[in-house]
Amino acid sequence: MSKPPVLRAENITKRYGKKVVLNNASLSICERELKILIGPSGSGKSTFLQCINFLVTPDRGRVWLDGREILRTHKRDLNAYRQKVGMIFQDFNLFDHLTALANVEIGLTRVRKMGKEEACEKAMQELDKVGLRDHIAKYPAQLSGGQKQRVSIARALAMDPEVMLLDEPTSALDPELITEVLAVIKDLRANGMTMIMSTHQLNFASEVADEIIFLEDGIIVEVGPPDKILYEPECERTIQFCSKMRELYGNSR
Amino acid sequence: MIESLVILYGALPYLFRGVLVTVSLVVGAMGLGLLSGIALAVGQVYGTPWTRRLIGFYVWFFRGVPLIVLLFLFYFGLFTMLGINLSAFTASIIVLGLISAAYQSQIFRGAILSLPTGQLKAARALGMSDSRAIISIILPQALRLSVPGWSNEYSIVLKDSAVTYAVGVTEVMARAHFVASRTYEHLPLYFAAGVIFLMLTFLGTKGLRLLEDRVRIPGYVR
Ligand SMILES: Nc1ncnc2c1ncn2[C@@H]1O[C@H](COP(=O)(O)OP(=O)(O)O)[C@@H](O)[C@H]1O
Ligand SMILES: [Mg+2]
Repeated sequence: MSKPPVLRAENITKRYGKKVVLNNASLSICERELKILIGPSGSGKSTFLQCINFLVTPDRGRVWLDGREILRTHKRDLNAYRQKVGMIFQDFNLFDHLTALANVEIGLTRVRKMGKEEACEKAMQELDKVGLRDHIAKYPAQLSGGQKQRVSIARALAMDPEVMLLDEPTSALDPELITEVLAVIKDLRANGMTMIMSTHQLNFASEVADEIIFLEDGIIVEVGPPDKILYEPECERTIQFCSKMRELYGNSR
Repeated sequence: MIESLVILYGALPYLFRGVLVTVSLVVGAMGLGLLSGIALAVGQVYGTPWTRRLIGFYVWFFRGVPLIVLLFLFYFGLFTMLGINLSAFTASIIVLGLISAAYQSQIFRGAILSLPTGQLKAARALGMSDSRAIISIILPQALRLSVPGWSNEYSIVLKDSAVTYAVGVTEVMARAHFVASRTYEHLPLYFAAGVIFLMLTFLGTKGLRLLEDRVRIPGYVR
């Protein structure tokens, strides 16, 4: 086949106590692709995404970026790797004591060692891209959920990541705020950002995903293009899950 | 009665010079306690099991032994034995500071543990090292949350500082005692000493309340 993958994760396994929450999960993604992770609550989506950048330490499994294996015991390499992999959390995790602008700047000044002025300029640009130019001086507690999530996207983008991991970016949002965040993600997609995203928004997934990965009980059950996974899945469990999600969130076609 | 007041009035400048000593003791001890307390708290939350155990022992020891015992133990015992020649004043700052470090560490530890774990995760996800994340993300938030507890600790250290008169530090209490025992005017002098401590408590906690407002994060309610 064609291009080598940007990011590759292989046989990731994670246990909490005796419970195996992620069982030999593998995934690889090429430049400009968007892969979407779906599955019931507790199926291991967050664990999988966080194992990929080692925010959760997998018990087993290997990860490569640009063909280079990441060894999490090499702190310097690990931190350099995490810079290149942007992460968006379900509950935003903005730094509560910093303004929107400072939230975006801090990675630039403290991690990339950029000068204050240059960092400020870049942070402004990133906030502008997500439509928050007028809110740069606000603190997280003064922003709506949708605005917070957009700040967190700007914060990740400022690091010029090669890949972004998005963990249910709209699940903590009120329904009317979901679209503004999805619009930003569509924008990223249009601009060629490589992304792995977990979500319950099947409509969105069917519209934009290159591939959908269905996870249940820590096992990847089925993988394929949206049309197949969402409308003609092979596995009984995928069928059940998709029809249940449609009941909850409305039909897509 | 008039005579007592005249004696008290005459002694006031002498007492007020003691205020300087008391304030220096408190500032020194709180400062030492702040720096060591932060280090202890970080070590206790993020350290290896052995670090945690060691710090746990430190806290247990300094919170469990009475101040006066520690003062005598360090000033007359330990420092003398080690051949360290310190003034009573310096030794008192160190002892008060070591004790305050134990208490302050628990204030900071509680504050650190009360922060959502996502804060550290987000910092790591940006590529920050853990030490950078602690300095730039965790401590600025934890220290803000610690101000009320710190204010409480201030009033305790202030009152504890009076005990250092027992090793000969000429702070407010020592001076009141000195004048009282020479003039036999116990009531007005100890009363004055009490009022001075009350005022210092009032001013300090007031100042810290202002600080608390100043560092409050806009829009943030807990
Ligand atoms: N820190 C943890 N300790 C113990 N169990 C956990 C922990 N984190 C997640 N789990 C368990 O792992 C499973 C997968 O969780 P998660 O990855 O959050 O699922 P999802 O994101 O798909 O909802 C769940 O059963 C959850 O209870
Ligand atoms: Mg999750």
